[in-house]
Amino acid sequence: VSSAARFDEVVHAPNRLQICAMLSAVDSADFAAVRDGLDVADSVLSKHVRVLHEAGYVAVHKAARASRVRTTLSLTEAGRTAYEGHVAALHAIVGDSSRGETERPGRPAQRQHRESAISPR
Amino acid sequence: MERSWGQDDLGAAAITPQEAASAIAAIDGTRSWLAGRIIAPAWYHPAFGLLAGGAIAEAEARNWALFAWSVAAYAVGCGALGWLNQRRVGVGMKYFDRRTRAIFAGHVLALSALIALACWLGLDRGVHGAFVAAGVLAVPVTVAFGRCTDQVLRTRLQAAR
Repeated sequence: VSSAARFDEVVHAPNRLQICAMLSAVDSADFAAVRDGLDVADSVLSKHVRVLHEAGYVAVHKAARASRVRTTLSLTEAGRTAYEGHVAALHAIVGDSSRGETERPGRPAQRQHRESAISPR
Repeated sequence: MERSWGQDDLGAAAITPQEAASAIAAIDGTRSWLAGRIIAPAWYHPAFGLLAGGAIAEAEARNWALFAWSVAAYAVGCGALGWLNQRRVGVGMKYFDRRTRAIFAGHVLALSALIALACWLGLDRGVHGAFVAAGVLAVPVTVAFGRCTDQVLRTRLQAAR
């Protein structure tokens, strides 16, 4: 993974992390498929998608088809970078240096976490 | 239904290794679920196999008009199966990479070899039932290559972060 470890408060919320994990593996996913994967109500997923969309991490496409609107979600380039950086930060916290890009000495991932906690995105 | 990794998931500084491990486990769980959803249902590859086998076996009738119709039915059937599965899965992704392309090429070569053998036996040597036998063999061949593709897709999705 090329992304540098960077903790992201927007991505870190459990449901949003799972949304990003799902979307990062595919080009796009139907709203219903993501909802099924998270096992949450439409309203809950809508709320999290809105947060990710406002952060510029998720693109929302709506297509009307036979009186029904089909909503498709996809991760933007910024979202992919943020997600990969966040996962690298998680691995750095756990101490899995083979996956997270950690600087030595010290624990840069946690230092970054503190920085992001001071000035969240 | 809000979820939380720990008591305080707002402050990044407060993230413990256990909470980070929980988050990573959740990512793995999501990927496993996705892999399970993307993998084709049990009927999918046999249906493809029956379409291919039917088109090959039909050549036994030695009726070119009928054969042309069976090839058209095969093409339409493949398209319909793919569309149905895409609707079921609900995700768009690049199915073809280096490994799945190799499997697809192997599948095409295997079916081509079966057809060539059936042509040689049936048309050149006059063996009755050569196309039917090739059609029957095409079913397990298609299923085997399909399952192989599923396995590669599953591994790819689970290996991704």
